[in-house]
Amino acid sequence: MDSFRKIDIDAFDEDVLLETELYDADPRDPAQVLDDAKAKAAAVRSSLSKGDIPGALTAVLDGAPYGPNVDEAKTLALQTLVTILNSTKSSDVSNIVKSLSQDQQDTLMKYIYKGMAMPGWGDVSGSVLLGWHEKLTEAAGIGCIVRTMTDRRIV
Amino acid sequence: MSAPEVHALGTTPITSHAFNGDRSQVAVSLNSNDVTIYSRQGKEWNVTDTLSEHDKLITSIDWAPNSNRIVTSSQDRNAYVWQETQDPQTGKMVWKPTLVLLRVNRAATFVRWSPNEDKFAVATGARAIAICSYDEENNWWVSRHLKKPIRSTVLSIDWHPNNVLLAAGSADMKARVFSAYIKDVDSRPPPSVWGERLPFNTVCGEYSSPSGGWVHAVGFSPTGDVLAFASHDSTVSIVYPSGPVIYTIKLNSLPYVTLTWTAEDSLVAAGHDCQPIVFSGSAGGWQLVGTLDDTSTSKSNGGTRGFGVAGSQVGRLNSAAFHTFRQADSRGSSSPTSAAGSGATDTELLTVHQNTITSIRPFSGSAEKVDQVSTTGVDGRLAIWDVNNVAELTGKMGALRLH
Repeated sequence: MDSFRKIDIDAFDEDVLLETELYDADPRDPAQVLDDAKAKAAAVRSSLSKGDIPGALTAVLDGAPYGPNVDEAKTLALQTLVTILNSTKSSDVSNIVKSLSQDQQDTLMKYIYKGMAMPGWGDVSGSVLLGWHEKLTEAAGIGCIVRTMTDRRIV
Repeated sequence: MSAPEVHALGTTPITSHAFNGDRSQVAVSLNSNDVTIYSRQGKEWNVTDTLSEHDKLITSIDWAPNSNRIVTSSQDRNAYVWQETQDPQTGKMVWKPTLVLLRVNRAATFVRWSPNEDKFAVATGARAIAICSYDEENNWWVSRHLKKPIRSTVLSIDWHPNNVLLAAGSADMKARVFSAYIKDVDSRPPPSVWGERLPFNTVCGEYSSPSGGWVHAVGFSPTGDVLAFASHDSTVSIVYPSGPVIYTIKLNSLPYVTLTWTAEDSLVAAGHDCQPIVFSGSAGGWQLVGTLDDTSTSKSNGGTRGFGVAGSQVGRLNSAAFHTFRQADSRGSSSPTSAAGSGATDTELLTVHQNTITSIRPFSGSAEKVDQVSTTGVDGRLAIWDVNNVAELTGKMGALRLH
């Protein structure tokens, strides 16, 4: 490729619209986000041992890490979420997704798509994700998928 | 329960439509550089005029009901004001264009006359809104720009009834309320919930779309005290500025791209879901009420219902075979569809509009109490709906059919 094609033209634009201006940043400090994610992972483990899937799911979906500089927390949150999804009986999925709030449904959909974009990563299982995706779409509609695509607060 | 009046104006997408004051004529842009004016003759709409001056796609049309002037905006970065005048030679009435220099370097995307029809606003891709007013002395339209703090293409605008405030929805995911006060045109507006002193380019409010979608449509309520906007994250938000209190309705369906208020407590929105959806509420909260399009019954066999030309003239020819040929002609579908409209190859939606609704506007009634709304869409159809004819939304997928 010619070198001029690699020039960052945005650097020459005074009015450039930056990614960070498109959404409200997480007010928490990156270190605190990571601590929160670790605390949640522990809480989820104890919820799971008691068989409380909705409780575990709610814990991980509220205050999910997003934005720059929190990659470690994001990875941990995805790992935690995938564990929950994998340990749910497929017959329970439908009722669980219906019990979530709309914001939680949107966040869950983001994680499902993120998982599907990383085949073979950790415990990610395509068939489990597709099962959840089907039930979640039935409950929250395609609007939920649209919001996953538009939202810049990427988990 | 009266069915909506449906007219197939063409097979190409309709980008925009605007009726004249007495609703006897409609100006549409059939995805081209020309405006086509249809006049109502009995039950049919016939082409009576074509306005050709733009040299790129027309993006928006507005027809001032009282002064009978049309304004058009186009991707060629220009706007034209069209006035009907008598041709000195033939004595016939012709539409005479006046070029409006917008002074922008990107496409004009949306245009609306102000309520008093003494100025109009043009949304553009140049991160600006051009407010145009008529300069008597020089006999031309001058434009002033609203720029700050717009960061991206402006997709829609709506005037406040006080003729000064302007709402704008933009691709930087924000809906804003500006003052478009022009000294020579406007008298000082009375104080409202949006502010008291309102010099040009005052930002009276800035609201983000909840999940980061482009703001496709904005609208002031009839009193102008409430703002609604629809964005590409499949949400409709209603803003009460004193507070501010914002009610967001997350939808199950695809996003809406156009909306209009029908009363102080209700609005109709439509878009990629192909059907007009009614919302109602007050300062205490808002909810989805239902659809104007009763999708519980199939409309195939089809699509002819109320269609001016095809429906009235073919009579007994309107058989399955005729239907197949017309489908091939109008929609390019070559596979034969069964008369009942079912079968694996059938792609006909259960809604009246067979594709995205691009524009919804009040049709009859007063601003405070709209009785009918008109819609046009990518399927080339014009439909007129009774807003009180609300049916329950069947199925959570909206128009999408799952096999």
